[in-house]
Amino acid sequence: MNRRYVDVVLGSVLIAAAILILTREGLAQGGVETQLGSMFMPRVVAGLILIFAAMIAIASLRQIIAQSPLAPQETIATEGLGGVLIYVGIFAAYWWLLPTLGFVVATSAAMFAIAVLLGGRSWLAMAAISIAVPVVTFYGCRELIRVYLPEWSL
Amino acid sequence: MLSNIIGGFTAVLAPAPMLGIALGVCVGIVFGAIPGISGIMAIAIMLPLTFYFDPVVGIVTLLAVYKAGIYGGSISAILINTPGAAASFLTSLDGHALARAGKAGKALCLALYASVTGEVLATLVLIFVAAPISLLSLQAGPIEKVWLLVFAFTVVGSMTGESVPRGLLSCCLGMLFAMVGMSAVTGAARLTFGIPELLSGFTFLPLLIGVLVMPEVVEGVRRRKTPQHELVLRHSPDPADNRLSFREYRSVFGTILKSTGIGTVVGALPGLGSSAAAFLAYGEAKRASKEPESFGKGSLHGIAAAESSNNAVCGSSMIPMLTLSIPGDDVTALLMGAFLIHGITPGPTIFYEHTDTIYAIFAGFLMVDLLLLVIARFGFRFWMRVASVRTCFIFPCVFAFAVIGAFTTNQSLNDILILLVFTVLGYGMRLVGLNPAAFIIGFILMPIFEQNLDQAVSIVGGDYLRLLGSPIGWGFIALAALSVWSAIRMNRKTRLRALAASQ
Repeated sequence: MNRRYVDVVLGSVLIAAAILILTREGLAQGGVETQLGSMFMPRVVAGLILIFAAMIAIASLRQIIAQSPLAPQETIATEGLGGVLIYVGIFAAYWWLLPTLGFVVATSAAMFAIAVLLGGRSWLAMAAISIAVPVVTFYGCRELIRVYLPEWSL
Repeated sequence: MLSNIIGGFTAVLAPAPMLGIALGVCVGIVFGAIPGISGIMAIAIMLPLTFYFDPVVGIVTLLAVYKAGIYGGSISAILINTPGAAASFLTSLDGHALARAGKAGKALCLALYASVTGEVLATLVLIFVAAPISLLSLQAGPIEKVWLLVFAFTVVGSMTGESVPRGLLSCCLGMLFAMVGMSAVTGAARLTFGIPELLSGFTFLPLLIGVLVMPEVVEGVRRRKTPQHELVLRHSPDPADNRLSFREYRSVFGTILKSTGIGTVVGALPGLGSSAAAFLAYGEAKRASKEPESFGKGSLHGIAAAESSNNAVCGSSMIPMLTLSIPGDDVTALLMGAFLIHGITPGPTIFYEHTDTIYAIFAGFLMVDLLLLVIARFGFRFWMRVASVRTCFIFPCVFAFAVIGAFTTNQSLNDILILLVFTVLGYGMRLVGLNPAAFIIGFILMPIFEQNLDQAVSIVGGDYLRLLGSPIGWGFIALAALSVWSAIRMNRKTRLRALAASQ
């Protein structure tokens, strides 16, 4: 994938966000009055983001128009990105189901799914690790460092 | 100073710190040795565990992970020609050539001895240089600190990114995310868009693991169809091929000394890191060698230069972080976070407010080198096996530990959501050439900058020109401008060289 198009889109989004921070009132609520005010630094940083995002977007736009050859770092490798989406999906489902299924069940399932996604086919070893790690860490955290990981709530 | 150092050794030579160091060394070597998993991942995963340790134990454990992780990278570089850490790329050139010739033992021994020598010498520089620098930086008030931090932002942003605008944009994005939530200066709720969960801001650890660690797992998932290198070892029947003699060590000692010097200087400059140090030292060793053609084909000098320089960076990169509170790269940013979590604020006053702790940490640095030498040397066979563990067993465990690390801070499910969001953001940043390390450094330094700016403005009242009245401040402004100018010049040179090469 040509990264220059991504640069232009991303630059535009960041410029829009920076303009929002620079112009919109009410982004800071409450607090004491100081010489600089609560929104001084966010606005300075937003101004800088606007400048740098514009520099990147304009440079990429000029190269798109000039149709100059792509440098190696300007190509985004897309092979395998489907797996990345599945990984993010597993992670999102894990977060969603964690309060219901509890840490041990949800983590075991997620670890096994990730191992399969990574191409693992040693089912027994993968299952053993996927069950042992969450069980050991669950009880280890509870007994040793008093961290109570989420429990099954069905 | 001597009494402080002796006091430091007394504190570290106790069962708890020594166990912490031994644990850190083992974890660091394991994570460093497995290709695709870096030492920084190990530090981020170990960080929540150290919350429950004494600050000295916790921090020396993390330092042990850091140092051992850099050395661990050389194991997979030598054995399977796949550097476990970017800095070990050059080690793989000569080390793997030796391993193919049946001399893996010799290459591993040299990598270990060069690493430990480089680390010890750089640590001594850290011990003897850091305190005097902190004395100088004690002269700085809020106005000077504001300019110092401006220098830090510009140097880190301009040196770490793929280009100057991308590096600085990464840093600014980190600064912006740091301002979400309750302002530490005014108490106002900023940029929360009415979401009450954002009032306390983004929790540091999930954000850090999400931006720095998880994208490596995601990249592993993307490359899941790329075959992993198999560990195939050839053993030479001659025992001399599997060890390093004192004569051989002495013959490369000059290269180790010179490369350690290069690594120490490069490490003390923010933004360059261990890879740059290794390339510079390797280039210099090749230039000065009587047999430059042997480099890349199993040269002992090549391994010695790459390993001693990239390990020397570990010690010296702590100098700007401890004395000026400028983390030079992602690992020192992470370690600075660890110091802050343990209630120790890096900066000029650290040597006066936490004298015992800081000298105990220095002593811990040297003990890490000793234990690294012992544990790595006697566990060669085990570490060789570790280097070939498949990612389908390791990455699911990293996922579980990352989730536990994120959850542990506040025992809140929102932190797991933050981890997910910043995993996606961190991976996206890599795809578009933004720098995660600059992002994290911006995130860590922003609150310190804002507090100092508020104090500086209170001092000058309405006369803002007085902000430009300090000679130390002028120095930092000049350094900031110089860093941006030199980064632009360096990028232009690289671009022209690439253009010339393509033609």
